[in-house]
Amino acid sequence: MSRVLVPCHVKGTVALQVGDVRTSQGRPGVLVIDVTFPSVAPFELQEITFKNYYTAFLSIRVRHHPSAHTPAKWVTCLRDYCLMPDPHSEEGAQEYVSLFRHQSPSMTFPKWLSHPVPCEQPALLCEGLPDPSRVSSEVQQMWALTEMIRASHTSARIGRFDVDGCYDLNLLSYT
Amino acid sequence: MLQEESDLSLIIAQIVQKLKGSNLYSQLERQAWASLQRPEIKLESLKEDIKEFFKISGWEKKLQNAVYSELSVFPLPSHPAAPPEHLKEPLVYMRKAQGSWEKRILKSLNSMCTELSIPLARKRPVGEQKELLNKWNEMGTDEPDLSLFRPVYAPKDFLEVLINLRNPNYENGDSLSFRTHLGLIQVPLKVKDIPELKECFVELGLNTGQLGIDDSTQVPPELFENEHVRIGQKVLAEQDSAAAQQYIRQGSPTALRAELWALILNISSEPEDVLYYEQLKTNVIQHDLLVDSLIYKDVKLTASNDDYYFVFEDYLYQVLLCFSRDTSVLSHFAYNSASPPKSYIRGKLGLEEYAVFYPPNGVIPFHGFSMYVAPLCFLYHEPSKLYQIFREMYVRFFFRLHSISSHPSGIVSLCLLFETLLQTYLPQLFYHLREIGAQPLRISFKWMVRAFSGYLATDQLLLLWDRILGYNSLEILAVLAAAVFAFRAVNLMEVTSLAAAEAVLADLSTLKVMPLLQIFLFATVT
Repeated sequence: MSRVLVPCHVKGTVALQVGDVRTSQGRPGVLVIDVTFPSVAPFELQEITFKNYYTAFLSIRVRHHPSAHTPAKWVTCLRDYCLMPDPHSEEGAQEYVSLFRHQSPSMTFPKWLSHPVPCEQPALLCEGLPDPSRVSSEVQQMWALTEMIRASHTSARIGRFDVDGCYDLNLLSYT
Repeated sequence: MLQEESDLSLIIAQIVQKLKGSNLYSQLERQAWASLQRPEIKLESLKEDIKEFFKISGWEKKLQNAVYSELSVFPLPSHPAAPPEHLKEPLVYMRKAQGSWEKRILKSLNSMCTELSIPLARKRPVGEQKELLNKWNEMGTDEPDLSLFRPVYAPKDFLEVLINLRNPNYENGDSLSFRTHLGLIQVPLKVKDIPELKECFVELGLNTGQLGIDDSTQVPPELFENEHVRIGQKVLAEQDSAAAQQYIRQGSPTALRAELWALILNISSEPEDVLYYEQLKTNVIQHDLLVDSLIYKDVKLTASNDDYYFVFEDYLYQVLLCFSRDTSVLSHFAYNSASPPKSYIRGKLGLEEYAVFYPPNGVIPFHGFSMYVAPLCFLYHEPSKLYQIFREMYVRFFFRLHSISSHPSGIVSLCLLFETLLQTYLPQLFYHLREIGAQPLRISFKWMVRAFSGYLATDQLLLLWDRILGYNSLEILAVLAAAVFAFRAVNLMEVTSLAAAEAVLADLSTLKVMPLLQIFLFATVT
């Protein structure tokens, strides 16, 4: 099954604050980002990828339409997922994060997202490493990935530092 | 596939890719082909038989060591969406700071170039090449005029840059409060406290035997030393890198140290390696680089003046000049926040086909750089082996001491760890030193940047570097720096100026590092 990017519209952040924004001194601790999907065709959401910028905990709520006749309601898919183990230090502050469907046991999707395959028990905790021989046979499937790595840099040693025997240089470049 | 499985597959794929270009791969291939002659290899069970053969003949162990080496050095593969810069350094503001710092260095080098009218690189005329080849083993006798050259930077210049590092997203509050950093480093990196350090350095505990403590003359060798040496010999016989790394946490016997370090760093001197070194030597003979003069100057100013290391002066040139020409060092920039300086062939400015790195290894030496090599001269006397060991130590550890990054073993984290340990466990001392204008980091910074080389007695330094290898981390440098302050706390409380504080801490040559570390971590009331 191939995976495609789903076009989505990410709205600006809205601070959740009690009281008047103008007079209140404190900084809001909670911000809300609305994400909408302009295309109407049903899809199975597999993965959400984003780059963090100093968010400590993340919750995801999805608006659920069970059927055409019942009113829509909000369902929490993920609650307080920790992105920064120590919010006062830099750990995890600017990391790239992927959230997968199987990570949320209660992750149910609205009907218009199609019927998700019943997922296996999320194995986030260590059950011991997967069987290496099985994994190494899966390396065949990862070959596409290896090709990508190969394309990005060569592991062979480059011996030469000159260009056709010439190493007569200008000044060092700043770009 | 579940996330952990796909991570593992990705790691395997990356390591396979890396090892495919190595000598070991071609050796294993040759061995596999040769093994087909053997009677025990049967066609029906070819794969299993060859694997068994590798196990018995010790080749599997070599492969294990190579994989272990890759895992120790290369960071885990990051998220597929992360660009290469993210692997070098995940925090944008640190990357920017490193970029600005590098620009300053480049400007400094360029201005030295134009002021002295000396080219960055030039091809040596044949006569000069012959001359250099003749005196390759005694380059120390040369007394070139280096008065016009100045080091590109000194550790204290670098410290000023680190002091000015700021996270744009970090709000300290305008007024001085509990939370404001009392020390010089103002970025909120995560550093370990003593309970966490005790867990991390558990083998340094009071109940575990240590070389550097339990091998002193008063302690009968039957209690610890003899057994420890016996185990060390066994580890060497097994040729197991991971076991060696675990073993060396308790220190290495002097007689075994050279081999143990080579095993941990996965250095074996194959003929190809000696040939590679000879090729680098040829590059030195053929081209003269401006950085060569910087290296000469640095050696003359530091190692040559040191009672322990002046005898190795010639070795230092033989290693450092070759190091500058070694393009294989460029690969470490994938996980180093720094980037190699770029230049263009004269007359071809801006044309990418004529873009080169300068120096060829991308590393511009600073004042004190040669001290990273000097202690190794006590262990290795064959130039190509000495060279390989130094290069591996540099791309695993030393590069972190002079580049700006958020890595736990990076110099910024070490500085913050040092300051935090002092503030938390010696608050009176810290406060007193601040009051008299002697910020402790200003004194300890130079020790950490040089990994204490040139400050400790050599046998003590080697015991310290044993632990750097054993724990695959430089955090021990910050802990030792704090332990030194703790040791001299009484004297330091009595001083009233920065100069006096520096005088108290000027001479570390009598210190015994392992007792200091043990007391600070395990025997201080917290």
